[in-house]
Amino acid sequence: MFTQFFGGYLLNRQIVSAENLKKAIELKSSTRVKLGVLAINAGYMTAKQVDAVHKMQATVDKRIGDIAVEMGYLTPEQVTELLSTQKTGCLVLGQTLVDMGCLTNEEFEEALNSYKSEHHLDDEDFVAENAQKTGAVIGNFYDIDDKNTANGELISEYINILFKNLIRFIGDDFTPLPTSEIDESCTAVCQKLGGGFDAMTSVIADDKAFVAFASRYAEEELTENDEYAKDVVSEFLNLSNGLFTVNVSNNIGKELTLAPQEVKTAADVVGSGARHIMKIPVEFSFGKVIFVIAEF
Amino acid sequence: MSTAVSQAKVLICDDSMMIRKKMRMLLENYGITNIYEAKDGKDAVEKYAEVSPDITFMDIVMPEMSGVEALKAIKSASPDANIVMATSIGTEGNLTEAIKYGASDFLQKPVEEERLVKLLDHYFKEV
Repeated sequence: MFTQFFGGYLLNRQIVSAENLKKAIELKSSTRVKLGVLAINAGYMTAKQVDAVHKMQATVDKRIGDIAVEMGYLTPEQVTELLSTQKTGCLVLGQTLVDMGCLTNEEFEEALNSYKSEHHLDDEDFVAENAQKTGAVIGNFYDIDDKNTANGELISEYINILFKNLIRFIGDDFTPLPTSEIDESCTAVCQKLGGGFDAMTSVIADDKAFVAFASRYAEEELTENDEYAKDVVSEFLNLSNGLFTVNVSNNIGKELTLAPQEVKTAADVVGSGARHIMKIPVEFSFGKVIFVIAEF
Repeated sequence: MSTAVSQAKVLICDDSMMIRKKMRMLLENYGITNIYEAKDGKDAVEKYAEVSPDITFMDIVMPEMSGVEALKAIKSASPDANIVMATSIGTEGNLTEAIKYGASDFLQKPVEEERLVKLLDHYFKEV
């Protein structure tokens, strides 16, 4: 999930544009992470050194690793180690943006290091996620604090479970956006929660993104935003909410309840009279889907 | 239960068309052909009375009547009914309530084929 938030971080800091990020998410499945990005991530080389190696490679017919060793930036052992390290999603996304020319190696280095240090993340965290750190990244990104809501912990947990389910059932090709306008004419599928967390949760998207989302979840090629597509997205919401309630029950002993899902419009959600509306917009390669928690 | 798979009758109660379709596929893969569907709790009670299935898969969050209420109604009329709660909301509270009212088993959604097969084997494996 830190990968998805790295994309959001780049966007938030205006390091890349939404358009380029979207394109990178589409392209990243065919990206091969190169030694330079791995060396920057490991802290073995600076971006400047990587650029110098690349410049040299343009003049000699040698592998990047061999040149880096010859130039004294890496030992042969470090090259072997880097090539066998796990290519985590952050690195794949960063490499894609570098390949697209949207980021220089130096900008990538700076962004990755500040993202890691701001959230106290190390390489291990990208492989096996630490619940506490995930909570902190989510809370920070969405500015969830006690001023806005009395249920900050539950909202952060909700987003955590939602994103895990998105990665598991829809795909990892998305980036959370810090905020987004809601087009009130969009379809919304909604489900109310009760039992101490009185909220209405929703999934909102325009027809194209809605159908694409439904197709991914149903593992079927759907073409229209019809009753079946709405049923599928409703079921995703019900599943994610169900798993959230199980988690809340197990971890804090609170028994939340779920009402049957309803199909509405985004205007109904915006005008629901909620005292706090938390928007969780997510940009997928197929379009934008906005998840909403409206607290009453 | 010693009913042969080919003669077994199974009722799927779920408000989601997608879930009913996927469950039907999994049951057919297992060799079950007599499959019935209900789209909410009230429908489930009616279909149960009509069909007398060997196993009923029951979602919990449904309109009209919840799965737990339907379970209660079915079990009070047919104490021998085999009802498996198939839901994503398997909280301790819900499970305790379902067991109290006589649910035979619990299947966590999303339903994994391997787990479903194990459960069906338990009911249908020839002895």
